[in-house]
Amino acid sequence: MVYITSWDEFVERSAQLFRADPDSTRYVMKYRHCDGKLVLKVTDDKECLKFKTDQAQDAKKMEKLNNIFFTLMSRGPDADVSEVTGKEQTEAQSGKKGRGRKQ
Amino acid sequence: MVLLQPDPFLNELTSMFEHSTEKGTVWVTLKRSSLKSKVQRNKMAAAGEPLEYRCLIRATNGKKTISTSVGPKDHQRFQASYATILKAHMTSLKKRERKDKKKVPGADKKEGGSKKPKRA
Repeated sequence: MVYITSWDEFVERSAQLFRADPDSTRYVMKYRHCDGKLVLKVTDDKECLKFKTDQAQDAKKMEKLNNIFFTLMSRGPDADVSEVTGKEQTEAQSGKKGRGRKQ
Repeated sequence: MVLLQPDPFLNELTSMFEHSTEKGTVWVTLKRSSLKSKVQRNKMAAAGEPLEYRCLIRATNGKKTISTSVGPKDHQRFQASYATILKAHMTSLKKRERKDKKKVPGADKKEGGSKKPKRA
């Protein structure tokens, strides 16, 4: 169990781990209200990355990470994810009906 | 393990969070899956069909497990609702600023209750 102290490093390595093996990588979140603790884990069953916190600001960062994972998982590991803005690009690329985007 | 549609899943998840405020944990797991058995997958790969992947989401409070699967089309909407639920319930985490409004450390149940958004 490796606890990562830097949030950015955790995000970076989790994304790498997922892209390397999308079928066996999973993202687990554990929340205990009584203790006020949040623990995140990303593992591909060979390597494991964890991040724990009791800070509300990290919950916000975690939401962004959730977005990243949702995008990667439902669209495929090649989905372009540069935080949240990357998702909008992917949407345009997936060829939805034109909504009058100025090009 | 109960497999639900995304909306009932979100409702159940909300109630799980609400029931585990005093004690207990909520676990949420996200994994990518095509929801097909290996045999089917091999067949599809051999036939040249593109595999459709979905995001499998599981939640448990230690006693009960619920799950749902979200495809690329619904994931945006699901993720927005999911984020709202999390924001509403993760109230016992510490805020950085020292100027706490009216928060009594340790008795966050009331705050959690009053922050409950009504989902249409």
